[in-house]
Amino acid sequence: MLEIKNLHARIAEDGTEILRGVNLTVKAGEVAAIMGPNGSGKSTLSYVLAGREDYEVTEGDILFNGGSILEMDPAERAAAGLFLAFQYPMEIPGVATMEFLKVAINAQRKARGQEELKIPELMKRVREAAQSLEMDMGMLKRPLNVGFSGGEKKRAEILQMKLLEPRLCVLDETDSGLDIDALKVVADGVNALRSPDRAIVVITHYQRLLNYIVPDSVHVLYKGRVAKSGEKDLALELEKNGYAGLVGEAA
Amino acid sequence: MPAVQETIEQVRKIDVDQYKYGFETLIESDKAPKGLNEDIIRLISAKKGEPEWMLEWRLNAYRRWLTMDEPTWARVSYPKIDFQDIHYYAAPKSQSGPKSLDEVDPELLRTYEKLGIPLKEQEILAGVRTAGEPSTVDGAGEGDNIYQSGRVAVDAVFDSVSVVTTFKKELAKAGVIFCSISEAIREHPELVRKYLGSVVPPTDNFYATLNSAVFTDGSFVFVPRGVRCPMELSTYFRINEKNTGQFERTLIIAEEGAYVSYLEGCTAPQRDENQLHAAVVELIALDDAEIKYSTVQNWYPGDTEGRGGIYNFVTKRGDCRGRNSKISWTQVETGSAITWKYPSCLLRGDNSRGEFYSIAVSNGHQQIDSGTKMIHLGKNTSSRIISKGISAGKSNNTYRGQVSAHRKATNARNFTQCDSLLIGNECGAHTVPYIEAKNATAKFEHEATTSKISEDQLFYVMQRGIPEEEAIALIVNGFVKDVIQELPMEFAVEAQKLIGISLEGSVG
Amino acid sequence: MNIQTQIRRTAAEEALLEACAVRADGLPGDARVREKRARAVELLKRGLPNRKVEIWHYTDLRRLLSAVPAFDPTAHATPREPLLAGAAVLPVLNGVAGKAPVPAGVTATSLAERLADGSEAALLEPADAHDTVAAVNAALAGDGLALDIAAGAVVEQPIELQNVHAGGQAHTRFAVRAGAGARATIVERQTGEGQALVSSVSHLEVGEGADVAWLIVQEQPAETTHLGQINVRIGKDAKLTLFVMNTGGKLVRQELRLVAEGEGSKFRLRGVNLLSGETHCDVTMVLDHAAPATVSTEIIRNVVTGRAEGAFQGQIRVARDAQKTDAKMACNTLLLSDEGSFSAKPELEIFADDVACGHGATVTEIEGDHLFYLMARGIPEKTARGLLVKAFVAEVIEELEHEPAIEALEARLDAWFAEHG
Repeated sequence: MLEIKNLHARIAEDGTEILRGVNLTVKAGEVAAIMGPNGSGKSTLSYVLAGREDYEVTEGDILFNGGSILEMDPAERAAAGLFLAFQYPMEIPGVATMEFLKVAINAQRKARGQEELKIPELMKRVREAAQSLEMDMGMLKRPLNVGFSGGEKKRAEILQMKLLEPRLCVLDETDSGLDIDALKVVADGVNALRSPDRAIVVITHYQRLLNYIVPDSVHVLYKGRVAKSGEKDLALELEKNGYAGLVGEAA
Repeated sequence: MPAVQETIEQVRKIDVDQYKYGFETLIESDKAPKGLNEDIIRLISAKKGEPEWMLEWRLNAYRRWLTMDEPTWARVSYPKIDFQDIHYYAAPKSQSGPKSLDEVDPELLRTYEKLGIPLKEQEILAGVRTAGEPSTVDGAGEGDNIYQSGRVAVDAVFDSVSVVTTFKKELAKAGVIFCSISEAIREHPELVRKYLGSVVPPTDNFYATLNSAVFTDGSFVFVPRGVRCPMELSTYFRINEKNTGQFERTLIIAEEGAYVSYLEGCTAPQRDENQLHAAVVELIALDDAEIKYSTVQNWYPGDTEGRGGIYNFVTKRGDCRGRNSKISWTQVETGSAITWKYPSCLLRGDNSRGEFYSIAVSNGHQQIDSGTKMIHLGKNTSSRIISKGISAGKSNNTYRGQVSAHRKATNARNFTQCDSLLIGNECGAHTVPYIEAKNATAKFEHEATTSKISEDQLFYVMQRGIPEEEAIALIVNGFVKDVIQELPMEFAVEAQKLIGISLEGSVG
Repeated sequence: MNIQTQIRRTAAEEALLEACAVRADGLPGDARVREKRARAVELLKRGLPNRKVEIWHYTDLRRLLSAVPAFDPTAHATPREPLLAGAAVLPVLNGVAGKAPVPAGVTATSLAERLADGSEAALLEPADAHDTVAAVNAALAGDGLALDIAAGAVVEQPIELQNVHAGGQAHTRFAVRAGAGARATIVERQTGEGQALVSSVSHLEVGEGADVAWLIVQEQPAETTHLGQINVRIGKDAKLTLFVMNTGGKLVRQELRLVAEGEGSKFRLRGVNLLSGETHCDVTMVLDHAAPATVSTEIIRNVVTGRAEGAFQGQIRVARDAQKTDAKMACNTLLLSDEGSFSAKPELEIFADDVACGHGATVTEIEGDHLFYLMARGIPEKTARGLLVKAFVAEVIEELEHEPAIEALEARLDAWFAEHG
């Protein structure tokens, strides 16, 4: 489903190279974990996948369902089924969360040639999703992410993920800033989305989240490259020996 | 009585007459008669041995000036100035272009000693002492002034003329020209003709035009392509003579890739009458060049009743003419009865940058109307303004600043932070920004606050055992820190002390 | 040494003085009123202000007021649906007040009557030599409405002062006095058809402990010059929310002159300027904090498209006695066109030391982060931009504590975006 081929990317403003030849394949139905120390390029990878303009791809390609997405803008990628759960969801004053969900869902449906959802159906779906994530509907009347706590923001991200039904979910450090109870709720939300025709990429610094979202494969990003790939045991190994051991091995 | 109330009482009693630099130097001087007309301008030009084109330039400015009105938009008030009651030229008599310090009037040298300028560092001029070595001549006592730290070249301007410039030879070796503007007009006419008036045209404004007609001296700096000026350059201005206007003109040019840091200091004796100071400073930075211009302005502010003091009506403007050029103004304004001054940057070159850092302290009956203009013309230009105003006594302190992005100034960026602090309930603090955008990609952010020293902060500091005056000084210094750290280090120490003295009675 | 030159009057200045001369005899007023009018005309004879006059810095009226249409006696203006459903509409059509029922607790009188007997003569005094809006209006307005809201009256039904023109000239005055403890919501509608010179000056007194919301909705046609002014005095512990929305007009000057004269009074200004086409719109506020412990917040949001020029001047003055003043002002602009411009001059003039005052001003594009976030959820760029621009303005509207008003104003917002967004 996702094929990243020799991907090089740099910060557009100052030309700093962050990704230096990432190769990664994630199949439909697979949950892939991407781990790595700070500064290894994890968040950059997620932004480059979603098409953020602050980064320039200088070499390589990203294939999604067989086609390159490099020429697509973020909205087109999202409509194609790519969803990024942000590490730091932006606060957008003045845009009510509910209104935002309506516009986003219908924009994607329209792009896929589906009919717009009627308000009652939309409300029903939102209510159900919110319930499953133990979210208060009152929160959805507030402006998007404004004044939300760290945990509320992460739940809101998962809520959007549920509602938008993406083919590929990229979760960027979704565990950061969550206590154990919130972590479980969020992980359950993600697990509920596992399906044979959907791939999930979990980006995380710690192994903790992987106890709840058990990955099929683990990839270690180091200095802008995938330095090592393995099965879920690799995450435990990293937890025990740290990245230093791995780096030594890789060198 | 609460602590702050007590401070207010003390500030009210401030004796501005304690102005530390208010002595007069008794030396013979050579003065033009009072008044202004074409003959006076011819006399000034002749005294300076100027070429004909310079005289014409002055006369044109004078004729233009006659058609102009004094600006009234600033928040300052003063009795109408009688421009015919001023001497437009005064020079220490013995002065006729000294070749060395030995030829300078010893009284003058004593003046500079009192000011803390070690012009007597003959060892430096003779090349005996080199960078960083302590002077063996000057005693302790004056230990903390910057000019003793060695590597500062000084041009001293006394009333209307430059009396001496130090370090000239060493600077010449690096290709840097640092001399009085009079000398530059004689020795480097091609440079002066090319750049003089190219940033502040002789028709610019009432005071600049007056200056163009009657300027008597000032400094000239030329840093050629690729040269990083090997030391700080400095000019010390002093008005001594009674009823004398000081109209200095400074011109600084940094060619491609050059760098220079320039310091300016000013003092004047205490007098009952107001004295006029109308300077023009022009800075030109070509591609990749950088000019840093720092001022500590400590002209006589007048006495407790508001008598006397300097009228400081100054036009300072920098032209970031080249790509990637940078001009940075830093000012500490504590003196003058009236300050009317807006050091500005024309950001013409693509990617050029302008900065303005200011501390303006007003006390007694002082009036300050100062700020900056950042005119974004080129692409990707950026500017930053940090202004800290402190008003005490019966003073009024106004920040007035303009930031504008013209149609073609794509991606112009400005950040302005403008804070005012009031000490006492008889002063005023005013903020008047003009924010003008004509380009959709511009991003301007302006923030301003006005407050008093918080009782909570003061209590906290005092609770830790710090006496009130020191506590206030500490808080005020914290308030101005962002700007102080932009000054060259030695200057920063002096500036902090000066702020302390200016608020004497509240921050001792 | 100054060369005094007599500057020639512009065609508009001539036309304005001509209109004053023609109108003078037909306007109601006793000797006091006539004297005030004569003084206003004297002020106008000195010429219209140019940008050298600080308070007109961004609106060079002498240059911008290019033509003054003559009065059109045949113009026939018709009342409009009110902004808020169920409001009591008090129409002033082409400068002439109509009769209409008012809610209980409110008395309405035609201003013509009060000018005729001289009881409102004092209103016709301009604040100073540069108060051109008040001078134009004093010289030319003959009618309008005076509303008295009784002390303690809680007026639930909104009142709409509807100033409608149908071309030519229309000059109107409103005087509203809210007694102690009164509560009311007042809409000042400014609209019409065709080319016109409109001046509308309002006076509002908010009595002790009263709570008033005043909404100015200016939606003049693209060829109308609108000179608006509201003069407000806010009493002890009183509360005023002033909302201003400008969406129309060719040349618009909206002045807000306020004095927080009662201790503990609270003032809130929210402004939305949606500028399109060739409009020039200048909102100028002068707010005096004249009493201790007064609180004010001002938020102005501007969206500029097309070749529109916008300006906001906001001067907050804190008097020496007005200790414990708390004043916060913000002016934020989205400049969406390279042919448009916006200038802001937020000013603080402070003479009291125990205050917390601040202002912020920004001119920006749409936040790149926000746009990315919305697009990452599949919202196409154009829609995403529209959402963000609307949210930028809607935020201010939603602060009104009046649901119907929020809905009505947001509907206006949608209509504007549909046409210009």
